[in-house]
Amino acid sequence: MKVFPEDLLYSREHIWVRVDGDVATIGITDYAQEKLGEVHAVDLPEVDDEVERDEPFGTIEAAKGVVELIAPISGQVFSVNEDINDDIGIINSDPHDTGWLIVINISDADELDDLLDARGYHDFILHEAEAEV
Amino acid sequence: MATDEAIFWESLHSETFPTLRLYGWSRPAVSIGHFQNATAEVDLDACRGRNIAIVRRPTGGRAVFHDEELTYAVVSGSALPSFPLSVTGTYRVIMACIARGLESFAIRTDLSGADSSGDHSVLPACCFSMPSRHELLAGGKKICGSAQFRSRDGFLQHGSLLWAFDPCKTWDLLLPHLKHEEQIAGLRASATSVKEAGGGFMDFNELIDAVVRGFQDVLGIEFAEGHLTPGEENLRDRLLVEKYHTDRWNIEGRVAKHGL
Repeated sequence: MKVFPEDLLYSREHIWVRVDGDVATIGITDYAQEKLGEVHAVDLPEVDDEVERDEPFGTIEAAKGVVELIAPISGQVFSVNEDINDDIGIINSDPHDTGWLIVINISDADELDDLLDARGYHDFILHEAEAEV
Repeated sequence: MATDEAIFWESLHSETFPTLRLYGWSRPAVSIGHFQNATAEVDLDACRGRNIAIVRRPTGGRAVFHDEELTYAVVSGSALPSFPLSVTGTYRVIMACIARGLESFAIRTDLSGADSSGDHSVLPACCFSMPSRHELLAGGKKICGSAQFRSRDGFLQHGSLLWAFDPCKTWDLLLPHLKHEEQIAGLRASATSVKEAGGGFMDFNELIDAVVRGFQDVLGIEFAEGHLTPGEENLRDRLLVEKYHTDRWNIEGRVAKHGL
């Protein structure tokens, strides 16, 4: 069953954003981890790296391929989830909480306006699923 | 690999037509997946001793010993209706194309499901030691290994359709290779080839034609034979210098911070 936490914003590239003041935590959605399959590895930016909206900020390898992670908003990396190194499976098992990927200092809060709320993301993936049939 | 990647990036930037590339190997080589640990999973000394090149793919998956095979690469933009937006959806379409081609040799294939069994521990670094989901099987054995890289605007999927397979050639190149008889037997039980599955005499050029026809039949298209564009050639040359001819990428798996 897919989960769409109400307190998150979502991009059309299946990345979620949790905003806390000027800081945003970022990860892949439950829908994304389900579609990808078992995650084997992830390549993330380093602290102080800049990420740019709509540009790749890392890659993730799952059951069938390596997929680029597309940044939903721009900012400077403040923190990278080190727990992933010990247990990569948390990206699949708890994608919206302990499976977070990076925390960034938001550089342009206006970019948040382009993201979807939970309802909007739900409708978006329904439409995407119908298009694939 | 450099050519595959160059075609991929140029297709995104210049919105060219999708590309099917078929090629072979001038000398045997080992390719490893994007995230594989080369020093832990490949016997580097054995490869160097046999003058076998080691190259890291931009795509995922496990190690492949490239020798007697038809290697394919498909590059396409995500917006094309022929290919679904998902990794697995694209896999199914491309496998259907190759399967159609193999029908020309009376080779019946199936897609491996979620319940594919096999002793993955036989040679865990090896792509052909056990099929994962949605892979092409002939007689229950893996005949084609594939890997995909996907960006927001397109994908590259490439793979090896085995023309002939000798597990003895693969065994001592990958790690760990501690149990010779057991691992050889395991590989022989998990992988097959066009020659083995089809039986009888076949011509390699006929296989190429059959695969092309398979793509055309399944996708309802007609290919136009082409060559690398100047942009693809330039990017390929740059990728060779900055990435695929470097130990930084092939062995260590690192890319230049602002490069390729």
